[in-house]
Amino acid sequence: MALIEQNKMPKEGAVIWDFPLRFFHWAMVGVVAIAALTGYLFEGWWLNIHVYAGYALLCLLLFRLVWGFMGSYYSRFHHFPLARGEVIAHIKSLLKGRSKEYVGHNPVGAWMIVILLSTLVLLVLSGLFVWGGQENSGPLASVASYGIGKASEEVHEVLAGLLMAAIAFHVGGVLVENFIFKHPLIKAMITGRKEGAIAQGQVRVAHSVLGIGLFVAIVCGVALWVNAAQGPRFIGAQNATYTQECGDCHLAYHPSMRTGDSWQKMLLSLENHYGEDASLTPKKRAEILAYLQENNATTFDTKVAHKIGRIETASLRMTDTRYWQKKHDDFKPATFTHAEIGSKVNCNACHQDAADGRFSESAIKLPKGVKK
Amino acid sequence: MRKMIFTLLGVGALLGTSYAAQANSVLILEGYQAQAQMDDPAFREFSAERGQEFFSQNHTGGKPQTPSCTTCHTADPSGAGQTRAGKTIAPLAISKTPDRYSDFEKVEKWFRRNCTSVLGRTCSAREKGDFITFMKTR
Ligand code: HEC
Ligand code: HEC
Repeated sequence: MALIEQNKMPKEGAVIWDFPLRFFHWAMVGVVAIAALTGYLFEGWWLNIHVYAGYALLCLLLFRLVWGFMGSYYSRFHHFPLARGEVIAHIKSLLKGRSKEYVGHNPVGAWMIVILLSTLVLLVLSGLFVWGGQENSGPLASVASYGIGKASEEVHEVLAGLLMAAIAFHVGGVLVENFIFKHPLIKAMITGRKEGAIAQGQVRVAHSVLGIGLFVAIVCGVALWVNAAQGPRFIGAQNATYTQECGDCHLAYHPSMRTGDSWQKMLLSLENHYGEDASLTPKKRAEILAYLQENNATTFDTKVAHKIGRIETASLRMTDTRYWQKKHDDFKPATFTHAEIGSKVNCNACHQDAADGRFSESAIKLPKGVKK
Repeated sequence: MRKMIFTLLGVGALLGTSYAAQANSVLILEGYQAQAQMDDPAFREFSAERGQEFFSQNHTGGKPQTPSCTTCHTADPSGAGQTRAGKTIAPLAISKTPDRYSDFEKVEKWFRRNCTSVLGRTCSAREKGDFITFMKTR
């Protein structure tokens, strides 16, 4: 009771940034740092961390958007000083080497927040489309085509560059305000208070409770959405004759890994199959041929179908495609003759999900003793 | 009591299938025997020694990558082998893999393929019979 009464009048040195907003700000700093590091330096397993950072960002951003309407006075978007007149006046005074002190965001700072938040929202969205379309993973896997995923990747990269620039401006601006104009913005984002500021509105304990509750609810909602939407879109070859006859010497490769033409050429030359006789009775060969005419790289919309399956090679090998070679150029040739592997065509020695044609980065498990 | 009946049934089923497998492999050998006698009326019986010799030897006339049966099956028939593509092959010895040589179509398919790869020709009924006879002693 006493607390509320105290806060009724504009008050000096009051809390202007409520706890949920400060939590949002610093969580954002951490998560964006992780996302940027794993995004720019990612390789293999790091992609998973990048994606988790993306989900965390999604939660944080959803929270911030709602908090812009439900939070305490200075957290609300309609209290941002975004009007043109105010911005121009602010810039003019900056040019003269002065900066008026605002209790909440100043006009340039407020626009910065708008730019940061919109870039981040678009980044997360485009990221979800890349993850769904290109990697066939995550909540958008069944919605996004490979083409959309690929286009989104370019957008995602441009946005990431924009975000880095925006962060540089934001941090630069805060440092100038803090150390040159002596407005203690950094301390305010930590303690929530600004010395000597006459604050509008009031920050109550209820704001903290509401903010935490809201955030927890959003995290649960996002987790449910992410888990529920991951349908099993990947299954192994569906023809028993194929999986049996083409699975005797190596795994039965997923039909999406060669074109119908390549499969046909291979099936018509089984008497001389990479130095071996792999011939079939005419009846079985015809059945497999029919299956692979209906199921092949052109009928699947996955990453492997696009990057390996649809690329024809003179040897008909998947391992002769540029993409395959680029992805495996860290390994010495001797790695492939390791006792647990035997040959580079033994995909499932390392790719746990090879039979389904998924080849997710996260399903790679090198046999013991094999190193990159 | 129920449990015992089920156990008995289970053991019976196991014995049954392995018995059927054995019966089949006997039939397959009898077939090769008849064919071998047609090819050469002087032929009497299969020999495990000749089979071992055929299995371990380096042959000529086949593909350079596969000079011998042991290239993939290894010199020890009771151990696992590996295809050139890296997949494990269960042992060829009947004592280790009881359902071997029990499916005529399968046996013929692999003799056809492996003999062309290793010898560059089909194998005779005598060679096939010797080979299986050898594997039965292992
Ligand atoms: C008798 C054993 C055998 C059988 C049966 C067999 N393959 Fe192969 N396959 C091989 C070998 C050996 C290689 C090459 C291994 C190497 O280069 O190390 C190979 C390679 C391949 C490759 C190329 C792998 C690469 O380098 O990208 C494809 C594709 C392939 N096989 C498809 C098939 C299909 C389809 C069938 C069924 C009709 C089949 N194989 C049946 C032994 C076999
Ligand atoms: C290029 C590798 C390779 C070579 C060389 C090879 N095999 Fe095989 N063999 C296989 C594979 C693979 C199988 C089928 C896998 C299985 O049944 O477990 C097989 C199966 C067989 C079978 C069928 C067994 C059954 O269960 O009915 C026979 C018989 C056989 N091989 C005989 C031979 C003989 C005889 C030679 C030498 C002339 C030979 N193999 C050489 C790879 C090879």
